[in-house]
Amino acid sequence: MEPARKKTKVKDIDRTIYDFKDKVNPSFEVKEGLTPAIVEEISQKKGDPEWMRGFRLHSLEVYNKLPLPSWGPPLDGLNIDDIVTYIRPKAKMSAKWNDVPDDIKNTFERLGIPKAERESLAGVGAQYDSEVVYHNVREEVRRQGVVYTDMESALKSDKYGPLVKKYFMKVVPPQDHKFAALHGAVWSGGSFVYVPEGVKVEIPLQSYFRLNAPGAGQFEHTLIIVSEGADLHFIEGCSAPKYNVANLHAGCVELVVGKNAHLRYSTIENWSKNMFNLNTKRAVVDEGGTIEWVSGSFGSHVSYLYPMSILKGEHSRMEFTGITFAGKGQSLDTGAKVVHMAPNTYSNINTKSISKDGGYCAYRSSVKIMPDAYGCKSSVSCESLMLDDISGSDTVPVMDIQNDDVEVGHEAKIGRISDDAVFYLMSRGISEQDAKNMIVTGFAEPVAKELPVEYAVEMNNLIKLEMEGAIG
Amino acid sequence: MGHPQYKVDKGSITFDGKDITHIPVDERAKAGLFLSFQNPEEVPGITLESFMRSSRNAVTGKPVKLFAYKKELKDKMEGLSMDTSYASRYLNVGFSGGEKKKSEILQMLMLNPKLAILDETDSGLDVDAVKVVSKGVEKYKNSDNSLLIITHNTKILEYLHVDYAHVLMDGKIVKTGDSSLIDYINKSGFQQLAV
Amino acid sequence: MDLALKEINRLPVPTWNLLGINSADINGVPAVTAPYKGEYLSELPEGVSISDKTVYAPEIDTGMGADAQKFSENNKNCGATLRVKAGVKADKPVFLRYRIGGQNSSVVDVTCIVAEEGSEVTVVENYSSEGGAKGFHGGLTKIYAAKDAAVNLVQVQMLGDGCTHFDNVGGAAEENAVVNILQAQLGAGEAYAGCKVKLLGTGSRLNVDTIYFGDKKRKIDINYVAEHTGRKTRCDINVNGALMDESSKTFRGTINFLKGAKKAVGHESEYNLLFSRKVRSRTAPLILCSEEDVDGQHAAATGKIDPDRLFYLMSRGLSETDAKKLIIKAQFQPAVEKIPDPSIRDAVFDYVKERLDSVESIS
Repeated sequence: MEPARKKTKVKDIDRTIYDFKDKVNPSFEVKEGLTPAIVEEISQKKGDPEWMRGFRLHSLEVYNKLPLPSWGPPLDGLNIDDIVTYIRPKAKMSAKWNDVPDDIKNTFERLGIPKAERESLAGVGAQYDSEVVYHNVREEVRRQGVVYTDMESALKSDKYGPLVKKYFMKVVPPQDHKFAALHGAVWSGGSFVYVPEGVKVEIPLQSYFRLNAPGAGQFEHTLIIVSEGADLHFIEGCSAPKYNVANLHAGCVELVVGKNAHLRYSTIENWSKNMFNLNTKRAVVDEGGTIEWVSGSFGSHVSYLYPMSILKGEHSRMEFTGITFAGKGQSLDTGAKVVHMAPNTYSNINTKSISKDGGYCAYRSSVKIMPDAYGCKSSVSCESLMLDDISGSDTVPVMDIQNDDVEVGHEAKIGRISDDAVFYLMSRGISEQDAKNMIVTGFAEPVAKELPVEYAVEMNNLIKLEMEGAIG
Repeated sequence: MGHPQYKVDKGSITFDGKDITHIPVDERAKAGLFLSFQNPEEVPGITLESFMRSSRNAVTGKPVKLFAYKKELKDKMEGLSMDTSYASRYLNVGFSGGEKKKSEILQMLMLNPKLAILDETDSGLDVDAVKVVSKGVEKYKNSDNSLLIITHNTKILEYLHVDYAHVLMDGKIVKTGDSSLIDYINKSGFQQLAV
Repeated sequence: MDLALKEINRLPVPTWNLLGINSADINGVPAVTAPYKGEYLSELPEGVSISDKTVYAPEIDTGMGADAQKFSENNKNCGATLRVKAGVKADKPVFLRYRIGGQNSSVVDVTCIVAEEGSEVTVVENYSSEGGAKGFHGGLTKIYAAKDAAVNLVQVQMLGDGCTHFDNVGGAAEENAVVNILQAQLGAGEAYAGCKVKLLGTGSRLNVDTIYFGDKKRKIDINYVAEHTGRKTRCDINVNGALMDESSKTFRGTINFLKGAKKAVGHESEYNLLFSRKVRSRTAPLILCSEEDVDGQHAAATGKIDPDRLFYLMSRGLSETDAKKLIIKAQFQPAVEKIPDPSIRDAVFDYVKERLDSVESIS
């Protein structure tokens, strides 16, 4: 008879350090529900240029026409009309940390932003309830001609407005899906980054998002343009406190990678357990350009997240490294998409997922090679680790290859922690708990090592917390 | 060593005066037992170096001084003719058969156990590698520790002084002797003893 | 008037609709079928009999879905329910040979194979057509393998381009039972195949070996589902195929580990050789898992022939085209060898050769 496996009690991740709320004192609040009048109000209060006002209204029309997705985890508990979409806090945009109001400062202080500022980050754009409150661009980076500002200032500026208009929601059009359309109607805040030709930004740029009010939805828009031959690493991290009312995050990230340019986009999504994270991220890569995605999905109640890359130019490349961790009450549907439109392009997707405590992970991907994209190579590797038999893990990859001059490989694995590996580690004196911890940390290592050491916004701590709390 | 798939239903195991029959694997390691695996596991994501450090920390219960440890590791790797870049490679991942065995002996040298059990360490090694490993084992051996070597091939014993030799057949010890038993078997084979 | 069967070969877990892979539709399905004229059933080996009852214990689902299953059952014009007596290892295979053409423009065969405890049988279903005949084949095969039984199903389809074809298979395996399925999807203008086997009993096993061959404008659409319920169950699904000209293939392969299927093992592999710029190969290899103590793996590779291999053959004197033809044959070889009838084996190789010969050059 087989020896019964001893089950160590799994500690749930201690999220309480993120669950703190500041008293909400909004200076302006939009009525609940989504009507053209409300969209007009938002547009007016923001001082949008006319084209943006029209764009918002058009997006609302598209939103009303599109259905909810017929696949993926259920979206029960999400009623968009109930969510207040816009709250502007008292504080205005600041260039210096010292000018930011205390309660907001405390929020970021607690979550580690000032340290990040001190530790050689080029600049921090931090969002507080739909507005970018704090912003600081280091002198060196500004001198290189790098523009890192909030989306709304960029939109209204004479210099960058046309650039915004050229690219805004062209990479992710509102027609794409319902939440892209919603985003187009009510977007607010976010970052705009422009890196001029040939400029290599030495230090990673960082952005930070946070929700605070009950029922607030966050719809920040990030637009990054990396010009020909330029190089940038951008880090996005987020956190939100826990509320009883459903919270929605329908942000949009558009990345434009120019000829022979290089962009690395790292994210840690650590929304609280009641969040619906329906984010859309997409990159368009020009000839010889490279996009690297590094993605860690840890939080939220329900997540739909599939960073997509369009390899438009010949010899363009995409690398995707991701980890998804679903614990109790979580349904995280994540993955990646890539379209090879041009010849001799390359893509590599490497993901890991972990499910425990009834959590559900779905890996969903799409690799598409168009008829004229000859000479392409693509490889996908997805590995799933199940830590108990009450959780779930689905792998749903699709490859659509439309010419013969390709090399496409795909492999997937699913299983539990190997007993032999545990035994081996224990035979070297490591306790069972630590041995399992090591194996799971080793499992997550490919993502952890892609993030820069200076990245102070919870990431490495977060992984440690998640991993140390998770034992098979 | 206490592999969970094996259950002791009769008898006991005593080590250094202590009954270890039912204590878990890691505690046996802490008590001074070491097993060099015949087929060492590949564990991606953890480097050889950091794993060894954790292991030493766990077995000795004392914090490991980084600088001294790294030097010791490097010296011992060189002593085994092992490429020192393997220290920063993931534990056994992609190592050749021979390198895996060397990795096992390296770990033995770093942990300095009271009793080291070498399970077919010489299998998969070429002549030179057997020599190197054998010399490494010889360096480890002193009057305070013991070795239990499991092998089909006696080349590895060339540099070692054998106190006892046991022949195991069908799960039973059929003959025990001193080192002269090895010469006897090399000449006449195992089948002789199968009566 | 023709019918359409919509949303057949459905993916157990749907994905983005835009990918067009969640299911398929079959058009041009005949509303009425005339009885099949001619003999199709071979002499039965000892211990195997025809039963007029089509009832057996577990509910069997099919790979193509309930609609396709119902269509076949309602419009059946041939087929047989075979029952293998307990403990009998049938000494020769059972052949069902159908031919489209002349009086038979539609073949809708419903065949059930019930293998009682400890029995073993091989059933070969062979579909061919006359010359340039236009026709339809919509078959349903149900397999029930009782404890310790083994059922080998071999389906070989070499229909002409004017035919639309589907093979719908459903099965259930009890304790230690084995179900082996071999599908050779070589012909028909449009070929659909669905196969779903439930591994109910402890230690039950499913092996699926499939070869497909697409040329001209052929369309191949496959959906396999291995459902693991029992402990220590095992499935091995291997698909090998080649596409040339403007053909297209969609392969969906799902390994589903249900809760309780402890120590189950599921392996799936798919190798696609592509030979022309205009082909389309779509793959969705799914693994669904609600049980931790399992081992699930799949691997898929798509592309051109390995250049080193090609070079090696050419260095022995073969032209590039001949070398490629040889490689395609070699790819099919392991599966074809499992066909128990030498005349069918030869027919398959002749067919592939004929098809390859008509291809002027392979890119």
